[in-house]
Amino acid sequence: MNGGLLGVALRRVAIAIPLIFLVAVLVFVVLRLIPSDPIAMSVPPNATRDEIEALRREMGLHLPILDQFAIWFGKAIVGDFGRSIAFTQPVLRLIGQSLPATIELVVLAAIFATILGLSGGLAMYQMRGRAGETATDLVSTLVMSIPEFLWAIFFILLFGVALNVLPFTGRLDSGMTVGRHTGFLLIDCLIEGRFAALGSALLHMLLPALALALGTAPLLMRVLRSSLLEVTNEDYMVMARLRGFPERQILLRHAFKNAFLPTLNLMGVQFSFLFGGTLLVEVIYSYPGIGNLMVEAVRNTDLPIIQGVALVYAVAVLAINLAVDLLALFLNPKLRVAK
Amino acid sequence: MNDLRAFSRRGFLGATGAGLAATALPDFAWAQGKDSLVMGWPIDPPTWDPIKRTNPGIQAIYKMVFDQPVTQAPDLKVIPAVVKAWKMSDDGKQVELEFRDDVYWHDGKKLTAEDFRYTYFERKQKGHKSDLASVFRNLTDVKVASETKCTMILSAAMPTVIPWMSFLANFIVPKHHVEAIGEEKFGENPIGSGPYKLVQYERNSRIVLEAFDKYWGPKPSIKKITILIMKDPSARVAAIQSGQADWVPDVPIREAERLGKVAGLKSDILPITRVVLLQIRSDRAFADKNVRLAAHHAIDKEALSRALYGGKAVPLSVVATPGTPGFVDGYKFDYDPKKAQELLAKSGFGPDKPLQIGLATFNGVFPGDYEMARAIAQMWKRVGIEAKIDVIEQPKYFELNRGNQLPETTLYSWDNATGDPEMFSGYLLNPSLPFSAWKDPAVGDQIKKLFLVVNYEARIKGYREIAVHATSEGAAMPLLQSVTTWVYKSGLKVQPYLNGWALPQTWSWS
Repeated sequence: MNGGLLGVALRRVAIAIPLIFLVAVLVFVVLRLIPSDPIAMSVPPNATRDEIEALRREMGLHLPILDQFAIWFGKAIVGDFGRSIAFTQPVLRLIGQSLPATIELVVLAAIFATILGLSGGLAMYQMRGRAGETATDLVSTLVMSIPEFLWAIFFILLFGVALNVLPFTGRLDSGMTVGRHTGFLLIDCLIEGRFAALGSALLHMLLPALALALGTAPLLMRVLRSSLLEVTNEDYMVMARLRGFPERQILLRHAFKNAFLPTLNLMGVQFSFLFGGTLLVEVIYSYPGIGNLMVEAVRNTDLPIIQGVALVYAVAVLAINLAVDLLALFLNPKLRVAK
Repeated sequence: MNDLRAFSRRGFLGATGAGLAATALPDFAWAQGKDSLVMGWPIDPPTWDPIKRTNPGIQAIYKMVFDQPVTQAPDLKVIPAVVKAWKMSDDGKQVELEFRDDVYWHDGKKLTAEDFRYTYFERKQKGHKSDLASVFRNLTDVKVASETKCTMILSAAMPTVIPWMSFLANFIVPKHHVEAIGEEKFGENPIGSGPYKLVQYERNSRIVLEAFDKYWGPKPSIKKITILIMKDPSARVAAIQSGQADWVPDVPIREAERLGKVAGLKSDILPITRVVLLQIRSDRAFADKNVRLAAHHAIDKEALSRALYGGKAVPLSVVATPGTPGFVDGYKFDYDPKKAQELLAKSGFGPDKPLQIGLATFNGVFPGDYEMARAIAQMWKRVGIEAKIDVIEQPKYFELNRGNQLPETTLYSWDNATGDPEMFSGYLLNPSLPFSAWKDPAVGDQIKKLFLVVNYEARIKGYREIAVHATSEGAAMPLLQSVTTWVYKSGLKVQPYLNGWALPQTWSWS
């Protein structure tokens, strides 16, 4: 079994490499085609034409696009994504400083989405045919139709301003500082034994993670409900009922196990989108992740950062999908045979 | 099934209980004590190397950590700082500086004239790219006579050298520290000599500063500053309203007015040394003076101020703000739509045969920018000018201006913390500088001469004449003196500066 999983993993990684290359080409070319000069923000406003031209040459922007790409990609595969134009720092370092915050946020959002989605799906199935199902359906539609950034603002107004019970800026209370060991604040708090800071960090993550999760949870809820309805009249369910098993046991041991696989596949796709959702949510919550970094880079036409972060997004999406595929294979032996 | 439903109900009740418990938690101690302050700031410093960028939005943050050679009083007067005395030669090419001898870096070492030489001259020689090097491109040497004395040698007269040393990117950095850790790492781990030490920095999130006990100037009353980077204005509003910040700037005017009435909060709407103007091309449709003047006469600046700035923005007739040396008191360019129509008619245009022009604008770079462009386009339409609005980003603006590709007119905001007229009319109307859309050599020649005039009175007189000439010829359309908004807790005593600086080292809690 492990060999099978390993084989699938290796095959998927082999496919991922050309995909990442294609993403890199696409991002690079598109960024070169937009009508904006990347060095416009990197030279002082009173720079002379000679100074501008010298900088352009130094950055290789005078070369044909293909040559520029070859140079950039050649360096990127050994971990050199160039230097940020606006921040004058290596892109890899900037991403390395920001990525852990985003990963923590996305993981918490995924946990929230899973809990809300699965429990909601089960609840909707349980309430099928009754007013509760219609009401839950309406609520899930409403939740789904509001974008993450509006939830983000709504939560700030509700929990931050009106109720004044939750923080909504940054990652820690202003009076607290925690040393940087791994960049993952929750882990760093544990390393230093700072449990008050850990609580503060979790409170700071609560609203952005919830705002992100609300874009995903209703979909999971609906797919799980549909899958449960599909399996509800399967022979094994009927047999289980005839054998007198309690409905709760039938639901959780038989129906849920089989209905979960389509939901799991959807989770793979949706959790990839969580990374995209961080762009605005991180800005609204002053959360120092790569979404915030990306928005700043776009504002400054900071091509090296945009390229680097786009690649990180691509790798994250592929990694999440790979993980979900492997989990599906692990849970469903039939898929392993098919593969 | 019933079991599960019961379980769900229990789960729901449990979650609800948890929620209620959360709401019943004691009010978080967002508010800081009397020796600390939480500020919400809209811009994050791109680097902690303060000489790299001429960015007005971060100058005040740099001033908390670093020293400028000289500084400004709240009324903009240049006053001594690390440099306690200065003397310019008659030809404006040499400037003698005398430094204080009680200035220390945050690591305890002494700041000397060598640090100044390193910042202004040696770093450029070493190939460190910076906006400061670009500003001082005529600096050929800094001769150090002693730890507290040096002379700047310039290849051409620079009458504004002293005001410039209180302006953007002009901060002294420690030679020993930059050389020890390198230019790149200095951008992340700075040491300054300013009133506060950088304790912690998290990009795009927060900056923590602590008062420096060996600071040479007045010791800050507020010992700890936390700056939360809040780029979104609604987040800043929420932060001050919830008490998570003690002070926030640049909130919308209406929000500032509303928050000022909330118990425990105060708000200020402060006119600053920022000019909102229409930059004009000297060619294409605007080569015709009648057209330019008509376009200017058609704009109701009072209405723009009322609609977008609550009437607090002062209508301008010259490219200079009230209270600065280049401002011309008593000169007024009238709002006169009838005259605008007459002038347009002379050139063959009118509501029936409108003149077509382009109007570039930002959207969200300064308060009400896009709305102002739309309002101006409406005002123009009434007299016979049809403006096609094109929204551009800041990088695009610089690129277009450098390539002389801006449309006939561009709505622009120009900051000049020094208030010196060279940085107003001098930069905005000098065709050889990329700030100017106006490329008429006649005005340019006058300005180039003024760039070399060392006598202060003669220089200011010259700029005032140019400012009036530029408006009356239609070379510039100054619109409004822009405002900034501050909202803060009522116990905080703030010190406004005419240039909009927010310097918590001068503030205190009552």
